[in-house]
Amino acid sequence: MRSKLVALVLCSGMLFVCGCGRTEPQFSYREGLSPRVQEYVRTTVDEKFGTPHKIRVWDKLPIQAHTALATVGEGSKDNSLVVDISGASRPIEPGTEVVWVGGTIMPRGSAPVTVEAFTKDKNLLSLVAAPPAAPKAGDKIVIGPGQTLTHGRLLYAEHCQHCHGVAGDGQGPTAPYLNVRPRDYRKGLFKFTSTKEGMKAHRSDLARVIEDGIPGTYMPSFKLLKPEESHAIIEYVLFLAMRGESEFQMNNLLASDYSDASVANRIKDGETQEKVIEEFVTRVKEGEIDEEVNQRNEKMIADWVSAQAEDAVIVPKEKRNASDEESIKRGRELYLSGNLNCVACHGESGLGDGVQTYSVTKNTDTGKDNVEPGLYDTWGNKLKPRNLRLGMYRGGRRPIDIYARIEAGIKGTPMPAFGAKLTEQQKWDIVNYVLELPHELRTPGTGVAPASPATKPAPVATTAH
Amino acid sequence: MKRFWCLFFMIWPVLALYVCWIAPSMGWWFPFTGPTGMKAASPLGERIDDLFYMILYITTATFVGTQIALGYVLFKGAAATDEGNTEKAWYSHGSHNLEVIWTIVPACVLLFIALYQMDVWAQYRVKDSFPSETKQGAIAEVTARQFEWRIRYPGLGPDGKPLPLMPEPQPTDLYTVNDLHAVVGKAVMIILETQDVQHSFFLPELRVKQDAVPGLDIPVWFKASKSGDYTLLCAELCGWGHYKMKARMVAETEDKYLEFLQNLTKSQNYDGVPETPAEGAPVASAAE
Repeated sequence: MRSKLVALVLCSGMLFVCGCGRTEPQFSYREGLSPRVQEYVRTTVDEKFGTPHKIRVWDKLPIQAHTALATVGEGSKDNSLVVDISGASRPIEPGTEVVWVGGTIMPRGSAPVTVEAFTKDKNLLSLVAAPPAAPKAGDKIVIGPGQTLTHGRLLYAEHCQHCHGVAGDGQGPTAPYLNVRPRDYRKGLFKFTSTKEGMKAHRSDLARVIEDGIPGTYMPSFKLLKPEESHAIIEYVLFLAMRGESEFQMNNLLASDYSDASVANRIKDGETQEKVIEEFVTRVKEGEIDEEVNQRNEKMIADWVSAQAEDAVIVPKEKRNASDEESIKRGRELYLSGNLNCVACHGESGLGDGVQTYSVTKNTDTGKDNVEPGLYDTWGNKLKPRNLRLGMYRGGRRPIDIYARIEAGIKGTPMPAFGAKLTEQQKWDIVNYVLELPHELRTPGTGVAPASPATKPAPVATTAH
Repeated sequence: MKRFWCLFFMIWPVLALYVCWIAPSMGWWFPFTGPTGMKAASPLGERIDDLFYMILYITTATFVGTQIALGYVLFKGAAATDEGNTEKAWYSHGSHNLEVIWTIVPACVLLFIALYQMDVWAQYRVKDSFPSETKQGAIAEVTARQFEWRIRYPGLGPDGKPLPLMPEPQPTDLYTVNDLHAVVGKAVMIILETQDVQHSFFLPELRVKQDAVPGLDIPVWFKASKSGDYTLLCAELCGWGHYKMKARMVAETEDKYLEFLQNLTKSQNYDGVPETPAEGAPVASAAE
């Protein structure tokens, strides 16, 4: 009896200690810098982006973090405001917090003002209670501060995190079992985009991937998400991408002087560890590094902003030409031509077995030869050029998707942009050829030959005797 | 005290009966969120529900009978140990007749169920007994994959009607993910395949469930009796993302269905060039 009791107590104790423990999610950080420098990077990143539980909305980032932004218009009374909504990313529901940006209406520590109802057609926002001071026309207000991001974080934790990781580093618990690795957002780079060469992804590109998934990889379709849910996830993913890229830029900036390896080298050359750190601290104090970091952040932000602009999206100048035999033939000739050299990777038959797949290639980051032959992406994963005969198009199967791949390449991979090398019709010829490839059953380029009855073989026995 | 325990043990069967009695109205047995509510959303599904209820009635009768017998034995045993009772214990080697009865009666019941359900089973699973409407061929190929449903529809022919579905992909085929459309009130057939492991095609509101087995092309038919959105789930634990594998099945009128295919054709052939460039657009003026 007693031993049973002891066992029971032990078991429940174990359960209490191991099973019921909860660990707070943490953003991961890149490693490889000298500890003091690493700490600087961490604090700077956290200052701007916060932690998973305390997200900071850095208002410079082009993210729709709030439920809506609005300006107070004429004719507003105490608790009933006429507003001009400028950026609404989700429906305004009763109970949503309203915050005045700047001004003296809401001093620090005053009770939050919440929405009672919002009449969309009249742009009338009624509040539960009047703000401490009378609202003026032209006041800028934030409705539901940070709500989109918080909602996005919860949805991200539910649907995405177990592969893509808390910080979007592609290191979630299921990631090691996937043989097309989940995307690491922290370079601010997404592969399948509709934007021009060298540009970042457009929001609609992320939306399409979430809605349709990526065939041939483990990214499934999340079609049943509501539009505002999908939107919240996109904003949160963009937030993670910007956080990661900001950190990535900082690491790049500091690695040449303060990475573990460079510090070791400098010590070998006669400097001391203390001197190196002291030099770093003075550089930080003088603001030199902060300035450099800010410049890089500005550039990153500008890149994201420009990718969302209307003219960032690829629009073919001419309509697709008919996918007839002639066009497909021209497409095939271009595919085989030395100018484009598609065959180097995709192979002569489009099976994805070109010579590059077994050639020694250079690492894009270090410029050194890769240890194993074959193609690699920017994230260091080994890549297979697409087998074009499977009819599986990761970035989408619409003609415009394939056009965009040819025009702007696949970002972060060795697939280059051919936009400048080709005329519009030539691009469409290649698109037509690529779309035809999976259905081509016999001789490449000729389509399916019509069946003809076999001819009777000539008798051979007569001359033998 | 003896009789308290007798009563205590008799409460549970009564409670079980009560719970079973109210279960259908509480929606504990069948999914009830679809367009048809608690009722099965397909004629075959209604027959499957009838089978379910028939088996439920048989088991309920058996359950009530055995519980009453058990209660009787309990109370009788309790009475036998009352003070002043002189009844003696008696010994038995069993009753041959009784054993024959309780073997033959359940066997007959099982045989009856086995024969009674054959018709529904054949309609559900045997291709020769499928409704004649499905003889025209499948409307789509549904390929399960970790962790989504990829659907291939045949494209529309020159007459605006869907072409027959070919076993191999055709240039005219149309594709969707997690979005299966079918005509309401008409028996439709799909071909079920899987790209990787075993999955199971489950339309709970229509009471359709069929495993997808690697290497097999399995025909499955269903007939939605009311238009609306239905749930399509994977009902076979297929991996870590099994819970994500949820799609929708939209039952709609023939016109709407054709419209859906037309829109799909349009979006799938989209070449990124705006349909009609605005007047005086730079492209047009440059061409002049």
